[in-house]
This record gives sequence, structure tokens and C-alpha cells, in this order.
Amino acid sequence: MMTSAPSGTHNFKVVLLGEGCVGKTSLLLRYIEDKFNDKHLTTLQATFLNKKLNINGKRINLSIWDTAGQEKFHALGPIYYRNSNGAILVYDITDEDSFVKVKNWVKELKKMLGSDIVLIIAGNKIDLEHERTVPLEEAESYSTMVGAKHYYTSAKLNQGVEELFLDLTREMVDRFEQNSQADVSRTSRVLVVDDETPVQTSCCSGNRST
Amino acid sequence: MEGAYDEIISDNPFFRDLKNEYTNLFQHCITQSWIICVPRVGILNTRVFTVEDFCAHILVPSDELPETHYSTLTEKQVTVTNKVITLEVTKGLPLQSHILFEETFYTEDFIKYKVWCIESALEPSTTTSDNVVTKDCLLSINDCIDLLWTQAAGRHVLDQIEQNVQIFLKKHSCLPIAISTLREAISELYTLCLQTTLQNRRLREKSKASKHILDNIKLAVESYMQHLLFESLFKTICTSCAYEDSHLNKKIRNMSDIQLRDLDIKKELYHAVPKAKQILSKIDTYSSVLEKILCLKQALNAINKNDNSYNVVLLTADDLLPVFVFLLIKSGLPNWYSQLTYMKEFRFSCVGKGDSDESAFLITTLEAVIEHIQSGALAGPPDPESHYYYDSNLTEENLQSNTQRRSSLTESISTSETNSREETLEYVFELIKANHTEQVQAILEKNQKHLKSIQQNEKSILKFALEESLNNNNDDDDDDDDDSTESEIYQKLCHPLCNCKKCWCKISKNLLKTSPTVTSRDSHGLTPLHVACIHGKAAIVEILLDMGADVNATDLNESIPLHYAASRGHQNALLLLLHSGADINKPNIDKNTPLHLAVNNGHMNCVKALIYFAEHSRKRIIVNCTNESGNTPLHLAAKWGYEGIARLLIENGAEPSRLNKHNKTAFDCAHNLKILQVLKSCTPNLYEYIHITSSDIKTLSCKSDNLEYLKLEKLSVKNSDYVNNPTKTIENLKRIERILQAISYGDVKLACFYLNINYDTFNENTNTVKESLCHPLCECQYCKRKSQSHVSDFDINFSDTNGFTALHYAARFGLEELCKILIHNKADVNCTNRKGQTPLHLAAIYNKTKVISLLLDNGANINAIDVAGNTPLHNASDMGNIGATKELIKYNPDISLLNASERSALDVAKKKVHLTIIDLIEKYSSKL
Ligand SMILES: Nc1nc2c(ncn2[C@@H]2O[C@H](COP(=O)(O)OP(=O)(O)OP(=O)(O)O)[C@@H](O)[C@H]2O)c(=O)[nH]1
Ligand SMILES: [Mg+2]
Ligand SMILES: [Zn+2]
Ligand SMILES: [Zn+2]
Repeated sequence: MMTSAPSGTHNFKVVLLGEGCVGKTSLLLRYIEDKFNDKHLTTLQATFLNKKLNINGKRINLSIWDTAGQEKFHALGPIYYRNSNGAILVYDITDEDSFVKVKNWVKELKKMLGSDIVLIIAGNKIDLEHERTVPLEEAESYSTMVGAKHYYTSAKLNQGVEELFLDLTREMVDRFEQNSQADVSRTSRVLVVDDETPVQTSCCSGNRST
Repeated sequence: MEGAYDEIISDNPFFRDLKNEYTNLFQHCITQSWIICVPRVGILNTRVFTVEDFCAHILVPSDELPETHYSTLTEKQVTVTNKVITLEVTKGLPLQSHILFEETFYTEDFIKYKVWCIESALEPSTTTSDNVVTKDCLLSINDCIDLLWTQAAGRHVLDQIEQNVQIFLKKHSCLPIAISTLREAISELYTLCLQTTLQNRRLREKSKASKHILDNIKLAVESYMQHLLFESLFKTICTSCAYEDSHLNKKIRNMSDIQLRDLDIKKELYHAVPKAKQILSKIDTYSSVLEKILCLKQALNAINKNDNSYNVVLLTADDLLPVFVFLLIKSGLPNWYSQLTYMKEFRFSCVGKGDSDESAFLITTLEAVIEHIQSGALAGPPDPESHYYYDSNLTEENLQSNTQRRSSLTESISTSETNSREETLEYVFELIKANHTEQVQAILEKNQKHLKSIQQNEKSILKFALEESLNNNNDDDDDDDDDSTESEIYQKLCHPLCNCKKCWCKISKNLLKTSPTVTSRDSHGLTPLHVACIHGKAAIVEILLDMGADVNATDLNESIPLHYAASRGHQNALLLLLHSGADINKPNIDKNTPLHLAVNNGHMNCVKALIYFAEHSRKRIIVNCTNESGNTPLHLAAKWGYEGIARLLIENGAEPSRLNKHNKTAFDCAHNLKILQVLKSCTPNLYEYIHITSSDIKTLSCKSDNLEYLKLEKLSVKNSDYVNNPTKTIENLKRIERILQAISYGDVKLACFYLNINYDTFNENTNTVKESLCHPLCECQYCKRKSQSHVSDFDINFSDTNGFTALHYAARFGLEELCKILIHNKADVNCTNRKGQTPLHLAAIYNKTKVISLLLDNGANINAIDVAGNTPLHNASDMGNIGATKELIKYNPDISLLNASERSALDVAKKKVHLTIIDLIEKYSSKL
């Protein structure tokens, strides 16, 4: 009969990070708007969007958080990306600075969240291939080095957007299942940020990191 | 949103049957990318579905308009707008169904198809089963109560939760201050409440049948529990967040002049700000986390409301944050950090969901905004003139005119920069801001000399001219020469060397504009000294003072430079001004003194400087002065939680028991226990300072306990003596103030002392009526003298400027004993204050049950109405005071009375969702 298994749905949080104007908001809108003819976007739909997926029988509730790219808000990053299962780091292939910024984000995320988070690097605006300034090889080798998948996207032409989110989601599901196998006691992802969370003894969590 | 509909599609019988029994049809849908609509679980009667049923729910996109137009496999036309499916039917109105959510499925080989979970079936014939939950989304505490009440078919679940909470509160008479411990305790209570709720058979079965119902029940239980706990829980949170709140308040107070444009907010969003601000500032009226989050959501949605021209302004994260920062700063709430902590830490119903819902996003946004303000990344308003532009009733016109003014100002500055010849006043202001001391001095001195020489020639005329030019508006000349260049002005003169008044006027006006001196003012009345104080340039302040700047020059806000130095926390500038004779007690247009402003913005250094300067120079600083809203500096320190400042003020004579125009003392303004403790601990016990010697005290005039007699006598007092009561002298006002203060400290003895009532005699004689008058009606000398002694000296019904008598205070603070004493001394039980409130109203508001019965036993009018039309029962219902309501009901109040908002006491209770009170009143009315 109808058993509403509570663990049946994965709830994943994904943040979009990147410099101003690289196309974070555009990517998000492109992904969500896709079919729903909903001209009536409310406030939050541009900053916070939900998408329900069902991949091969696994239910996933994605909540995607757009962030502000302006430099003055940079310090707020940790508030937004904490508890994230995935991060999409966007740069503009015609803007070298935006790629440098991505590298900084990677460093920061690794430091703050360790390997708990799935990283994706997205080179956006490939419709402007002729104006490319970020070398293809550099971007890809860097991504491999830091263990992030690299994608090319164009929010304008709707290229690579869905694939990016789909692969990210699958990766998050895999990661989640690995983790829950590796450490049965960890029912939900606990970020070791504050000292109030019960300290795990080293014998059970010692070889948990991948 | 929390409570938004969700279900597991693959468990839905309709979907399961399609997938398992009609595999071919299902596979075809997938390969063709047709959309499958699935009526939500429980909406269809369980039966065997036919192939027609399925075909009616499969949508094939049209070729021309694949986004909006579809046809079903049963050949019906379907349109989709705003998440609503509209189905054309042959007869009658089109059928509509909401899309509850969309789920995108991927098969093993990554073929994609979409499923829409819909609210009702797309067939007119299908009958819906009755097992349907009507409320999908909980939007208020009322919805929560509704859900628990209707789904459980009765009040018992609510009662059980209430009982759990009562027991909890009894057990924890003092809640733990540490947030983590507090959270744990409350979380346990929540689990308990949820368990007892699910012991209810109906609820248990319903929640088993649908995850959605279970989620809603959890949320409802949580919210109702929070609603009941709120008073004590939130106070405790405020206490533990006192430090963070007071720091945040200081930051916010100092940015309170900030303008939309200072934050780079999009112009398209300006129009929505007032509405959003209004919504957001109500956040502290909600008791549950659910409602607080909804309040955030509504505020943000208000920002995005369509502008008049049908365009939807898409709000992105970059736009959202600054607007929210602005709203927070302008909201005037003293405890944002506590609000955040409450929302963040006390949501239990959604554990396991992590940060994945919209509520988490809203809370995080609030956190980010607070962090942004706290971090100091925001500077205060960059321009001094910002101060004048903000109007608490922001309107579109206002904003537009502001931006216009702004642009003209920047123009004038930029022209003055490119054109070095023109050293306008604005240019000098810019120099002051940039701290170019020498340049400022040079320009002002040069112009002053120049002006002096002219002045010597035509002193009187110039003076006239200066005055003229200051009141720009009464210039009814046909020439609008404000912007005309020098050469144009000379052309307009009768003769280039003419000396007539009119010509002088024109020349000097131009002169003022181009050659500012130390006394020049801009259109807001700001002098260079004001501007130097705004920016805290002490060196320039010194120079300007040396050059003879008027230290007490007032601008259009009637603010002197000292106000600005104090409000912006510039201690050096402030001291320079004080030493040059600035008026330390000067009220501005809002009757704020420099001390008010320094306190309000949390500038301890300036508060200290003001107080110590006054002390050493033997100038009197009025620590208890009130501003336009009746607030003393101590009210402000209490409200914003500045403990150090509050302590300092009290040590220097501030009185926490003063009432502001809303009848609030500083104690009432304190929103957490920490600041309250400061107020209490620093308050000297007045009783200790006064040595009551028996000779000072007159004997109690009347010792009768006979109530009938008292009532009789009161009438006679009213008719005769009352008319010639002592005139309201300053002396008496001072005295009543002292009396009220003593009462507010709960010091009955001291109050009696001031009232000339012998407390001890009263105490002895309440039991023994021996020493009373010879006979109630006796007129002998002895008795006459006795019974008149107090009346002649001080009228017991004397009131302060707000109309409060001693009895009002005694009732408000619940001093039953003193009430008795006062009543025995002929205090009028039905006297009213300026708001028309009787002592009974106050006792009802503050839930002083014993006082209520005492007053009513002594002739208080149970149906007395205040100026807002409220009876005491209205007040008690409004405040949710159960004890008071019970007590009042014993005295047969008239519950049909409506207040000025056309509400009965019952309506008021319903509006505030005080269940027990609703019950009490309903029971009472059914007995009538
Ligand atoms: N040619 C091209 N332009 C794009 C693409 N994606 C985004 N843009 C443009 O880039 C600009 C910035 O896009 P946004 O989506 O607002 O960028 P953002 O990263 O959200 O920027 P911030 O919100 O300021 O951080 C817009 O003018 C888009 O039209 C793309 O794939 N190709
Ligand atoms: Mg953006
Ligand atoms: Zn003339
Ligand atoms: Zn007598």
C-alpha cells in the first residue's frame, strides 16, 4: 500500500556562485522556466527555486539558491553556502577575471566544507566562443585537479544547462549514498562548524573522508 | 513554502496503475514527451481506472503554442496559464484544476518526461471522495488551530497541547538562557506535544494516509505550541541575544537616515518599499515561527508587485539584499537578532529537510542582511542632506522629488569643481567633508573680508538684503534669478553701480551663492559648522568656532551642531561645541535633545561627555527631558538595550518609572531581562533615603470598613469638596509624580508617606475598628478635623499631566493593599486618565485579578469605556488575560458593547486567538 517512507525523498541544496554578470541568474531561470509557462514569477522565484526530479525511481527535491555576485556581498557567502550539497561555480568564458574568482571560490569552499560538497564549474556564454579569453585546456585541467566536473553552457541558447543540473544531481545522490554507507551513524549531514554538535569519536569517523 | 503540497507520485494509485497496467500507453507518453497529469492522492474514489480515465489526463502539446496549449488524448482542448489547467467542456463552465507541482522524471536511459500533480481530476464526471483535506497550506495560527480542531473533531488535542505547555512552564519557572539548552528543552516539549496529538485516532489515521497531512499536523502542533509559549520563550531568547541586539541596534540607529539611493536600490523598486516596510514591521506581532516567516515572505513579495505598467520586475539576489537591508533599518524593531534566532533555532517540524525549503531561504536571507549590517560594510548616509529626505511616510512623489533634488545638487557640485572660479557653499561643504582644513579657512576668510568691506558701505541695506535672501520664498520678483550668471545679474540691475534696495538684494544673493562665509546656510539651513559636526571634523569645528561661527545656529529641523555631533558620536567635536557654549538641553523639532540623540544611537562616549561636562561646568543637563513621543533618554536606552548607557543615565538621576505618551515606562520598553535588570538594580530604593518620622505623618482620617458608608461619603465628596479641590500647582504636580514613582516601585509605605496617609495606623485599624470616628456621621471638632485633614492638604484624586491618579497606578502595578488604602481615603474608583481609562481598565490590561475584584466591590463601573470604546473586558480579552477575564465575568459585564473598531470583547479575543478566553466569554453569553 501507500507507504510514505520519510527517507524516500532526497532534499538537496545547491548554490550558484560566481562573479557579477557571469550569468548565474540566467542559468537558473533557463533551467527552471523551461516548460512551465509561468509569466507570473514571484519575488523569490528569481533567487530561490525548487525543482522536483525523479531519477530512475529516486526522488530528489532540489532547491537552488542564487547568490549576489557583487563584491560588496562577498562576505555573506558562508551564510548562503553552508549546508549545501552542491555548488555551481560559474564563470564567463570571455572574462578571465571571472575564472580567477572561481578559483577563489573553490579554495574557500574546500576550506569551509571539505569534500562534503559536490563542485561543478561552469563556463558560461559559449555562444560567444569567438571572444573566449579563458583557455579551454586551463579550465578543464584546473577542474580535474580540484575534483570538480567542468561544463560548458549557454544560458542564451539553452545549451548544456539541463545536463549540468542533471549530472550534479546524480553526483549528489551518489555522494549521499556513499556517505551514508561509510558512516551509518550520520543520519543527516552535520557541518562541523559549531562546537555544540556532539563530538564524534575518532574511531568511527576516522576514515570517512574520501 | 512549508505546508506546500507534496506527495510521492510513484505511490499514487492512478500513476501506478497507468505504469503497471497500461505499459504501452505509458511508454508511448514517455517517448512522445507528453505530459501526464496525476490527480492528487485521495481525490479520486478508489476504483478500477479505465483507459479513458488515463487518456483524459495525458496532455499533448500543440504544434503552434507548445507552452500553453494542449489537447488530451480524449481530444479535449486544454490551456495552461499561471499553473492552472483549463479544460473546455461541451456544456457549462470550463473545468479548472491547479497544478500542485511538477516532477521531472528520468528513465534508466535518461529519457525525460514530466508529471503534473493536479488538484482535481480533468473529467467532469468523476466524483471526488469526501476524504479530502480542505486546507492545503497553513498560513496563520488560526489555520493551525482550525486544522487540529476540525481534523480531530474537537478541542481535546488543543487542550492537551495547552496542558503540556502549562506543565512545562510550571516545571521550568525559569527557562534556560543558553540557546542550545533552551532549544533542547523546547524540542522535547514539541516531541511530547506531537506524540499526544498523534494519540488521537482520527489524526493518526489521516496522517498515515498522507504525508502531506502529517507534515501539516506537525507544523500546526509546533505553531500552536509556540503561540502558547511565546511570551516566556521569546523573552528568554531576547535575553540571551541582548548583547547582539544592542550592537545591531547601535549600527542600525546610526544608519537610520539612510536613503534608498545610498544602497544602490533599483528605481523600479522604490514604489513598493513603503508597503513592504509596513508589512515587515509587523513581524513582532506574530508569535509562531510560521507566521514570522510568512511575514518575511509577504514583505518580499510586496517588493515585487507589478509596477503600474504591467511589467514584472524580476528581483534577483543582488536587488533583494539592499532592499531588505533598507527595510530592516527602517523597521524600528529593537530585537532583530532575537527574531532571527527564534526563527532559525525553533523550527522543529521540518528537521531532516535541511536547508532545502523556501523558509530556510527566507531565514538565511534575513541572516545575511543582519550580517551585512553588522559587518559595517555599509557606511552611513554619505551626504549630510540625506537627513532631510527621509520621510517615514515614504510616497512615490516624495521619492521622486528627492531624486530630483539630489541630482540638481550633484550638478551644482560638479560644476563648482570644474569651474574653480565658483566657490559655492556646496563646494565648501565638500571640502569640509574631505577635511581640507586650510582651504576651507582660506575661502571663508577671504569672503568674510570681502563682505565686511561691502558691509561697511551699506550696512543697513545689506542686512535687509541678507534677510530677504534667506527667505527665498517671499521673493515675488518676476525674475527668477537663482541660476543667472554674474553678468546676467548685472544686466538686470538698474545701473551697474546702482545702490537701490532691489539691486542690493540681487547682488548679495548672488554673492552669497558664490562667496560663502562662516554664517552662510544652504537650503536646509545648514551652516558650515553643522556640516563639520556631521562629519566629525574636529579641526574644522575648531577653526569655524574661532572664525565666529554661531555655535547655536539652528537648521530647518531646529537642530544645532551639537545635535549632529551627538547623534553621530563625534566626541571631540561635541566637546569643542560644549566648551564654546552650545546649549546642552536644546530640543530640536522632535523635541529631541543632544542627549536623546547620543543615547538613541548608542554613543556611550558622547553620553558620557555630555553628562560629565554638565557636571564640571555646573550646567544642568535635564536627564529626564521628554521628546515629542514622551520618551526620556532612558526610554531609548531601554528600548535598544544599551545597558552601559542605561546604567550611566540612572546613576545620573534618570527615572525609569516615567511614562511616555503610550503610558510606557522604561521598564516596559525593555525587551529583555538583562536590560530590565540594569534598570531595576540601578534604581535606588527611594525608601532608604527618606526617614519617616512619626511627627510628619498625619493620622489616617477615616478608618471605617463600612463600604456602604464609604460609597455614600464618596458621593458627597464628589458633590461638594471635589469642586474646590486645590488648584493644580506645580507643587502638586511634582508631588503626584513622586507618589506615582513610589507606586511604580511597589513601595506602598513611601506612597502613603507622600500621600499623608498613616500607613501603620491603617494597618492596625483594618482589623480593629476601635479608634475610628465617634460615629460615621459625627460632626464634632475632632472628627471633622480628622476627616478633612487630608483633603485640605493633598487631593487623593489629583492626577499627573496624563491624567493618572494614585489609584490608577496602584491598580496598574497590582498593589492591592494600596488600592484598599486609597479607596478608604475616598479615591474615586471611576476616575479616568487622558485616554479615558479607569483604574479597572489598567487592572484588566495588566491582569491584576485581586485588584479587579476589589475595585468592582467598591463601585467601579464594569462597563466603563475608554476613548477607544474599550471596556475592561475588551482589554482583558485583547491581552489574553485569563484571570482578569474570569474575574470580570463574575460581575456581569455587558458583552454586547462594541469598541471604536466595531468589535465586541469576543471579537477581540477571536482576533488574537485566545482560546480559553473565547471559551469563557461564550460560556458566559450562553448563560445569559
Ligand atoms: N551571450 C550570452 N549572454 C549571457 C549568457 N548568460 C547570461 N548572459 C548575459 O549576461 C548578463 C548577466 O547575466 P546574469 O544572469 O544577470 O548574471 P549574474 O551572474 O546573475 O550576475 P549578478 O546577479 O550580478 O551576480 C545578462 O545581460 C545576460 O543576458 C549566455 O549564455 N550568453
Ligand atoms: Mg544574478
Ligand atoms: Zn537699482
Ligand atoms: Zn466625633
